[in-house]
Amino acid sequence: MAVDDESKLVESSLSGDPEAYATLVHQHQKMIRALTFRMTGSLDDAKELAQEAFLHAYQRLGSFGGGSKFSTWLCKIAINLSLDWRRRESRRDDIHSKWAADVDSENNPGDGFPDELSRRVQEALNRLPVKERAAIVLTIYEGQSHAEAAKTLGCAEATISWRVFAARQKLKRFLQDLPHEHA
Amino acid sequence: MNTPELESILKKARTPEISADSLEMFPRLIAAHLKRNDPAIRAARNFSPRLVWAFGLAACAVIAFAIGHWSGRLETGTIPATDSVASLKLIREMAAMFPNRVRAIVQDERGLNLVLSDNDDVPVSPALYVHICDGKHCSSLVTFSGQEIQVAGQKLTVLADAHGGIILEGSQLLWSSTEPIYSGNHLKIEAKNLGPIPL
Repeated sequence: MAVDDESKLVESSLSGDPEAYATLVHQHQKMIRALTFRMTGSLDDAKELAQEAFLHAYQRLGSFGGGSKFSTWLCKIAINLSLDWRRRESRRDDIHSKWAADVDSENNPGDGFPDELSRRVQEALNRLPVKERAAIVLTIYEGQSHAEAAKTLGCAEATISWRVFAARQKLKRFLQDLPHEHA
Repeated sequence: MNTPELESILKKARTPEISADSLEMFPRLIAAHLKRNDPAIRAARNFSPRLVWAFGLAACAVIAFAIGHWSGRLETGTIPATDSVASLKLIREMAAMFPNRVRAIVQDERGLNLVLSDNDDVPVSPALYVHICDGKHCSSLVTFSGQEIQVAGQKLTVLADAHGGIILEGSQLLWSSTEPIYSGNHLKIEAKNLGPIPL
Protein backbone atom coordinates (compact mmCIF):
# COMPACT_ATOMS: atom_id res chain seq x y z
CA MET A 1 0.00 0.00 0.00
CA ALA A 2 1.33 3.48 -0.90
CA VAL A 3 2.38 5.60 2.04
CA ASP A 4 0.10 8.43 0.81
CA ASP A 5 -2.92 6.13 0.82
CA GLU A 6 -2.01 4.94 4.30
CA SER A 7 -1.64 8.54 5.54
CA LYS A 8 -5.06 9.39 4.12
CA LEU A 9 -6.60 6.38 5.84
CA VAL A 10 -4.96 7.40 9.13
CA GLU A 11 -6.29 10.96 8.71
CA SER A 12 -9.80 9.71 7.92
CA SER A 13 -9.69 7.38 10.91
CA LEU A 14 -8.60 10.25 13.12
CA SER A 15 -11.53 12.32 11.96
CA GLY A 16 -13.86 9.53 13.09
CA ASP A 17 -14.32 7.23 10.10
CA PRO A 18 -14.34 3.62 11.39
CA GLU A 19 -14.59 2.28 7.83
CA ALA A 20 -11.26 3.91 6.95
CA TYR A 21 -9.75 2.29 10.00
CA ALA A 22 -11.29 -1.06 9.03
CA THR A 23 -9.38 -0.77 5.74
CA LEU A 24 -6.15 -0.26 7.68
CA VAL A 25 -7.02 -3.28 9.83
CA HIS A 26 -7.67 -5.31 6.69
CA GLN A 27 -4.25 -4.37 5.32
CA HIS A 28 -2.29 -5.23 8.45
CA GLN A 29 -4.27 -7.98 10.16
CA LYS A 30 -2.26 -10.92 8.76
CA MET A 31 1.02 -9.48 10.03
CA ILE A 32 -0.39 -8.64 13.47
CA ARG A 33 -2.25 -11.94 13.87
CA ALA A 34 0.89 -13.88 12.90
CA LEU A 35 2.89 -11.90 15.48
CA THR A 36 0.37 -12.46 18.27
CA PHE A 37 0.11 -16.15 17.34
CA ARG A 38 3.88 -16.59 17.64
CA MET A 39 3.70 -14.88 21.03
CA THR A 40 0.76 -16.91 22.39
CA GLY A 41 0.77 -20.20 20.46
CA SER A 42 -3.03 -20.14 20.31
CA LEU A 43 -5.20 -18.93 17.42
CA ASP A 44 -8.01 -17.78 19.73
CA ASP A 45 -5.69 -15.83 22.01
CA ALA A 46 -3.88 -14.41 18.99
CA LYS A 47 -7.15 -13.12 17.54
CA GLU A 48 -8.19 -11.60 20.86
CA LEU A 49 -4.82 -9.91 21.29
CA ALA A 50 -4.80 -8.64 17.70
CA GLN A 51 -8.24 -7.13 18.29
CA GLU A 52 -6.98 -5.50 21.47
CA ALA A 53 -3.94 -4.16 19.59
CA PHE A 54 -6.02 -2.60 16.80
CA LEU A 55 -8.43 -0.98 19.28
CA HIS A 56 -5.51 0.27 21.35
CA ALA A 57 -3.90 1.70 18.21
CA TYR A 58 -7.15 3.47 17.24
CA GLN A 59 -7.30 5.13 20.66
CA ARG A 60 -3.74 6.35 20.26
CA LEU A 61 -3.84 7.17 16.58
CA GLY A 62 -3.22 10.82 17.43
CA SER A 63 0.23 9.92 18.73
CA PHE A 64 1.22 8.20 15.46
CA GLY A 65 3.31 10.96 13.97
CA GLY A 66 4.19 9.16 10.74
CA GLY A 67 7.87 9.15 11.76
CA SER A 68 7.88 5.37 11.36
CA LYS A 69 5.86 3.04 9.19
CA PHE A 70 2.32 2.38 10.38
CA SER A 71 3.11 -1.36 10.44
CA THR A 72 6.14 -0.77 12.71
CA TRP A 73 4.04 1.34 15.06
CA LEU A 74 1.31 -1.33 15.14
CA CYS A 75 3.88 -4.05 15.71
CA LYS A 76 5.21 -2.14 18.74
CA ILE A 77 1.73 -1.94 20.24
CA ALA A 78 0.98 -5.61 19.55
CA ILE A 79 4.23 -7.00 20.95
CA ASN A 80 3.98 -4.93 24.14
CA LEU A 81 0.36 -5.99 24.61
CA SER A 82 1.50 -9.60 24.14
CA LEU A 83 4.04 -9.17 26.93
CA ASP A 84 1.35 -7.69 29.21
CA TRP A 85 -1.00 -10.49 28.24
CA ARG A 86 1.59 -13.08 29.31
CA ARG A 87 1.92 -11.33 32.66
CA ARG A 88 -1.87 -11.28 33.10
CA GLU A 89 -2.06 -14.96 32.12
CA SER A 90 0.71 -15.83 34.60
CA ARG A 91 -1.17 -14.12 37.40
CA ARG A 92 -4.38 -15.87 36.41
CA ASP A 93 -2.52 -19.21 36.38
CA ASP A 94 -1.16 -18.50 39.86
CA ILE A 95 -4.62 -17.76 41.20
CA HIS A 96 -6.30 -20.67 39.44
CA SER A 97 -3.42 -23.11 39.68
CA LYS A 98 -5.75 -26.08 39.70
CA TRP A 99 -6.76 -25.17 36.16
CA ALA A 100 -3.19 -24.67 35.04
CA ALA A 101 -3.14 -27.92 33.10
CA ASP A 102 -6.23 -26.88 31.16
CA VAL A 103 -4.74 -23.48 30.39
CA ASP A 104 -1.53 -25.15 29.18
CA SER A 105 -3.42 -27.43 26.88
CA GLU A 106 -5.35 -24.46 25.47
CA ASN A 107 -2.10 -22.71 24.73
CA ASN A 108 -0.42 -25.69 23.13
CA PRO A 109 -0.33 -25.41 19.41
CA GLY A 110 -3.00 -27.64 18.02
CA ASP A 111 -3.92 -28.57 14.47
CA GLY A 112 -3.89 -26.18 11.58
CA PHE A 113 -0.16 -25.97 11.03
CA PRO A 114 0.83 -26.29 7.40
CA ASP A 115 3.60 -28.78 8.24
CA GLU A 116 5.41 -30.56 11.05
CA LEU A 117 8.34 -28.13 11.02
CA SER A 118 6.02 -25.18 11.68
CA ARG A 119 4.39 -27.01 14.58
CA ARG A 120 7.74 -27.96 16.11
CA VAL A 121 9.09 -24.42 15.84
CA GLN A 122 5.99 -22.96 17.51
CA GLU A 123 6.26 -25.53 20.32
CA ALA A 124 9.89 -24.48 20.80
CA LEU A 125 8.94 -20.78 20.80
CA ASN A 126 6.27 -21.49 23.43
CA ARG A 127 8.94 -22.94 25.72
CA LEU A 128 11.03 -19.74 25.66
CA PRO A 129 10.68 -17.10 28.38
CA VAL A 130 8.34 -14.49 26.97
CA LYS A 131 10.91 -11.69 26.65
CA GLU A 132 13.28 -13.96 24.75
CA ARG A 133 10.38 -15.04 22.54
CA ALA A 134 9.58 -11.40 21.80
CA ALA A 135 13.21 -10.75 20.85
CA ILE A 136 13.15 -13.69 18.41
CA VAL A 137 9.76 -12.70 16.95
CA LEU A 138 10.95 -9.14 16.29
CA THR A 139 14.40 -9.96 14.93
CA ILE A 140 13.61 -13.12 12.95
CA TYR A 141 10.00 -12.72 11.85
CA GLU A 142 9.64 -8.93 11.74
CA GLY A 143 13.15 -8.46 10.39
CA GLN A 144 14.07 -5.79 12.93
CA SER A 145 17.69 -5.06 13.82
CA HIS A 146 18.69 -5.40 17.47
CA ALA A 147 18.60 -1.57 17.75
CA GLU A 148 15.06 -1.43 16.30
CA ALA A 149 13.86 -4.28 18.53
CA ALA A 150 15.34 -2.47 21.54
CA LYS A 151 13.36 0.64 20.60
CA THR A 152 10.19 -1.43 20.14
CA LEU A 153 10.52 -3.07 23.53
CA GLY A 154 11.94 -0.03 25.32
CA CYS A 155 15.17 -1.64 26.50
CA ALA A 156 18.90 -1.48 25.77
CA GLU A 157 20.30 -2.95 22.55
CA ALA A 158 22.66 -5.10 24.64
CA THR A 159 19.64 -6.57 26.42
CA ILE A 160 18.12 -7.61 23.08
CA SER A 161 21.43 -9.10 21.96
CA TRP A 162 21.61 -11.07 25.16
CA ARG A 163 17.99 -12.29 24.87
CA VAL A 164 18.53 -13.33 21.25
CA PHE A 165 21.71 -15.17 22.22
CA ALA A 166 20.03 -16.98 25.12
CA ALA A 167 16.95 -17.82 23.01
CA ARG A 168 19.10 -19.22 20.18
CA GLN A 169 20.94 -21.52 22.59
CA LYS A 170 17.63 -22.89 23.87
CA LEU A 171 16.03 -23.19 20.43
CA LYS A 172 19.04 -25.13 19.14
CA ARG A 173 18.55 -27.55 21.99
CA PHE A 174 14.77 -27.82 21.53
CA LEU A 175 15.07 -28.36 17.77
CA GLN A 176 18.25 -30.42 17.63
CA ASP A 177 16.43 -33.61 16.58
CA LEU A 178 14.88 -32.02 13.47
CA PRO A 179 16.02 -33.77 10.28
CA HIS A 180 18.95 -31.99 8.60
CA GLU A 181 17.07 -31.26 5.36
CA HIS A 182 15.10 -28.58 7.23
CA ALA A 183 18.22 -26.48 7.93
CA MET B 1 23.15 -26.99 14.58
CA ASN B 2 24.77 -23.62 13.91
CA THR B 3 23.11 -20.19 14.04
CA PRO B 4 22.45 -19.78 10.27
CA GLU B 5 20.88 -23.28 10.24
CA LEU B 6 18.67 -22.37 13.20
CA GLU B 7 17.60 -19.09 11.56
CA SER B 8 16.80 -20.93 8.34
CA ILE B 9 14.56 -23.37 10.25
CA LEU B 10 12.83 -20.55 12.13
CA LYS B 11 12.17 -18.62 8.92
CA LYS B 12 10.69 -21.68 7.22
CA ALA B 13 8.11 -22.10 9.98
CA ARG B 14 4.69 -20.74 9.06
CA THR B 15 1.70 -19.95 11.23
CA PRO B 16 -1.63 -21.74 10.70
CA GLU B 17 -3.71 -20.43 7.84
CA ILE B 18 -6.47 -18.05 8.95
CA SER B 19 -9.74 -18.77 7.17
CA ALA B 20 -10.98 -16.32 4.54
CA ASP B 21 -14.15 -15.82 6.59
CA SER B 22 -12.18 -14.83 9.64
CA LEU B 23 -10.02 -12.44 7.62
CA GLU B 24 -13.12 -10.81 6.17
CA MET B 25 -14.99 -10.61 9.48
CA PHE B 26 -12.13 -9.34 11.61
CA PRO B 27 -11.97 -5.72 10.26
CA ARG B 28 -15.78 -5.55 10.42
CA LEU B 29 -15.73 -6.59 14.05
CA ILE B 30 -13.23 -3.83 14.82
CA ALA B 31 -15.29 -1.27 12.90
CA ALA B 32 -18.48 -2.35 14.68
CA HIS B 33 -16.77 -2.04 18.05
CA LEU B 34 -15.50 1.43 17.16
CA LYS B 35 -18.94 2.58 16.03
CA ARG B 36 -20.41 1.46 19.35
CA ASN B 37 -17.69 3.07 21.46
CA ASP B 38 -16.49 5.98 19.35
CA PRO B 39 -17.54 8.84 21.69
CA ALA B 40 -15.65 7.29 24.61
CA ILE B 41 -12.58 6.57 22.47
CA ARG B 42 -12.56 10.09 21.06
CA ALA B 43 -12.81 11.50 24.57
CA ALA B 44 -9.86 9.35 25.64
CA ARG B 45 -7.89 10.39 22.56
CA ASN B 46 -8.61 14.07 23.13
CA PHE B 47 -7.57 13.96 26.79
CA SER B 48 -5.74 17.23 27.44
CA PRO B 49 -1.98 16.94 26.81
CA ARG B 50 -1.47 19.66 29.44
CA LEU B 51 -3.03 17.43 32.07
CA VAL B 52 -0.85 14.53 30.91
CA TRP B 53 2.24 16.72 31.31
CA ALA B 54 1.11 17.92 34.72
CA PHE B 55 0.58 14.37 35.95
CA GLY B 56 3.86 13.31 34.37
CA LEU B 57 5.83 16.08 36.07
CA ALA B 58 4.21 15.33 39.42
CA ALA B 59 5.03 11.63 39.06
CA CYS B 60 8.66 12.46 38.11
CA ALA B 61 9.01 14.66 41.19
CA VAL B 62 7.73 11.87 43.46
CA ILE B 63 9.99 9.28 41.82
CA ALA B 64 13.04 11.57 42.00
CA PHE B 65 12.38 12.19 45.68
CA ALA B 66 11.99 8.45 46.33
CA ILE B 67 15.21 7.61 44.46
CA GLY B 68 17.14 10.31 46.31
CA HIS B 69 15.77 9.15 49.61
CA TRP B 70 16.40 5.46 49.11
CA SER B 71 19.47 5.32 46.88
CA GLY B 72 21.92 5.16 49.79
CA ARG B 73 20.05 2.24 51.31
CA LEU B 74 19.78 0.43 48.00
CA GLU B 75 23.51 0.74 47.31
CA THR B 76 24.55 -0.75 50.61
CA GLY B 77 21.70 -3.24 50.51
CA THR B 78 23.02 -5.03 47.40
CA ILE B 79 25.45 -7.04 49.48
CA PRO B 80 24.28 -8.15 52.94
CA ALA B 81 26.43 -6.71 55.73
CA THR B 82 26.91 -10.25 57.09
CA ASP B 83 28.71 -11.28 53.89
CA SER B 84 32.32 -11.01 55.03
CA VAL B 85 33.26 -12.78 51.81
CA ALA B 86 32.69 -9.50 49.95
CA SER B 87 35.13 -7.65 52.18
CA LEU B 88 37.73 -6.00 49.94
CA LYS B 89 40.29 -6.32 52.74
CA LEU B 90 39.80 -10.10 52.91
CA ILE B 91 39.99 -10.52 49.13
CA ARG B 92 43.10 -8.34 48.92
CA GLU B 93 44.84 -10.28 51.70
CA MET B 94 44.00 -13.66 50.14
CA ALA B 95 45.14 -12.49 46.72
CA ALA B 96 48.41 -11.20 48.22
CA MET B 97 48.98 -14.44 50.15
CA PHE B 98 48.29 -16.68 47.13
CA PRO B 99 49.06 -14.61 44.02
CA ASN B 100 47.23 -15.85 40.87
CA ARG B 101 45.94 -18.90 42.75
CA VAL B 102 42.70 -17.70 44.37
CA ARG B 103 39.83 -19.16 42.32
CA ALA B 104 37.08 -18.34 44.82
CA ILE B 105 36.33 -17.39 48.42
CA VAL B 106 33.12 -19.13 49.43
CA GLN B 107 30.91 -18.52 52.44
CA ASP B 108 28.09 -20.96 53.23
CA GLU B 109 26.61 -22.82 56.20
CA ARG B 110 29.97 -24.52 56.77
CA GLY B 111 31.80 -21.20 57.08
CA LEU B 112 34.42 -19.48 54.97
CA ASN B 113 36.35 -21.58 52.42
CA LEU B 114 39.19 -20.68 50.12
CA VAL B 115 39.34 -22.43 46.73
CA LEU B 116 42.86 -22.36 45.31
CA SER B 117 44.25 -23.39 41.95
CA ASP B 118 47.14 -25.92 42.03
CA ASN B 119 49.19 -23.58 39.86
CA ASP B 120 49.48 -19.79 39.75
CA ASP B 121 47.36 -19.63 36.59
CA VAL B 122 44.37 -17.53 37.67
CA PRO B 123 44.50 -14.34 35.57
CA VAL B 124 44.15 -10.97 37.27
CA SER B 125 40.61 -9.68 36.68
CA PRO B 126 37.89 -7.78 38.56
CA ALA B 127 36.41 -9.56 41.58
CA LEU B 128 32.87 -10.81 41.08
CA TYR B 129 30.48 -11.27 43.99
CA VAL B 130 27.74 -13.93 43.61
CA HIS B 131 25.00 -14.83 46.10
CA ILE B 132 22.97 -17.97 45.32
CA CYS B 133 20.07 -19.39 47.31
CA ASP B 134 18.69 -22.86 46.67
CA GLY B 135 15.62 -22.79 48.91
CA LYS B 136 16.90 -22.07 52.41
CA HIS B 137 20.54 -22.92 51.56
CA CYS B 138 22.52 -19.88 50.52
CA SER B 139 26.13 -19.44 49.43
CA SER B 140 28.05 -16.24 48.88
CA LEU B 141 31.29 -16.17 47.01
CA VAL B 142 33.82 -13.93 45.42
CA THR B 143 35.48 -15.23 42.29
CA PHE B 144 37.01 -14.00 39.06
CA SER B 145 35.88 -14.06 35.44
CA GLY B 146 36.35 -17.42 33.75
CA GLN B 147 36.40 -19.46 36.96
CA GLU B 148 34.28 -22.57 37.35
CA ILE B 149 32.50 -22.88 40.69
CA GLN B 150 30.38 -25.60 42.27
CA VAL B 151 27.24 -24.28 43.99
CA ALA B 152 23.83 -25.79 44.74
CA GLY B 153 24.96 -29.05 43.13
CA GLN B 154 25.76 -27.36 39.83
CA LYS B 155 29.01 -26.50 38.08
CA LEU B 156 28.83 -22.91 36.89
CA THR B 157 31.25 -20.78 34.93
CA VAL B 158 31.27 -17.16 36.09
CA LEU B 159 31.95 -14.59 33.37
CA ALA B 160 32.13 -10.79 33.33
CA ASP B 161 31.12 -8.92 30.19
CA ALA B 162 32.67 -5.73 28.85
CA HIS B 163 30.02 -3.56 30.51
CA GLY B 164 30.47 -4.90 34.04
CA GLY B 165 27.58 -7.38 33.79
CA ILE B 166 27.94 -10.91 35.14
CA ILE B 167 26.93 -14.12 33.39
CA LEU B 168 26.58 -17.54 35.04
CA GLU B 169 26.64 -20.48 32.67
CA GLY B 170 26.03 -24.13 33.52
CA SER B 171 24.59 -27.21 31.86
CA GLN B 172 21.11 -26.43 33.26
CA LEU B 173 21.38 -22.70 33.82
CA LEU B 174 22.08 -19.51 31.97
CA TRP B 175 21.79 -16.32 34.02
CA SER B 176 22.80 -12.74 33.45
CA SER B 177 22.82 -9.81 35.85
CA THR B 178 21.36 -7.64 33.07
CA GLU B 179 18.49 -10.14 32.65
CA PRO B 180 18.18 -11.60 36.15
CA ILE B 181 14.85 -13.39 35.66
CA TYR B 182 15.03 -16.77 33.99
CA SER B 183 12.70 -19.70 33.84
CA GLY B 184 13.06 -23.37 34.59
CA ASN B 185 15.19 -23.01 37.67
CA HIS B 186 14.48 -22.50 41.32
CA LEU B 187 17.70 -20.73 42.28
CA LYS B 188 17.68 -17.13 43.51
CA ILE B 189 20.78 -15.35 42.28
CA GLU B 190 22.30 -11.93 42.87
CA ALA B 191 25.64 -10.79 41.52
CA LYS B 192 27.78 -7.67 41.56
CA ASN B 193 31.04 -6.70 39.90
CA LEU B 194 33.34 -5.51 42.74
CA GLY B 195 35.89 -4.12 40.27
CA PRO B 196 39.68 -4.51 40.30
CA ILE B 197 41.23 -5.44 43.66
CA PRO B 198 44.27 -3.20 44.31
CA LEU B 199 47.09 -5.10 46.05
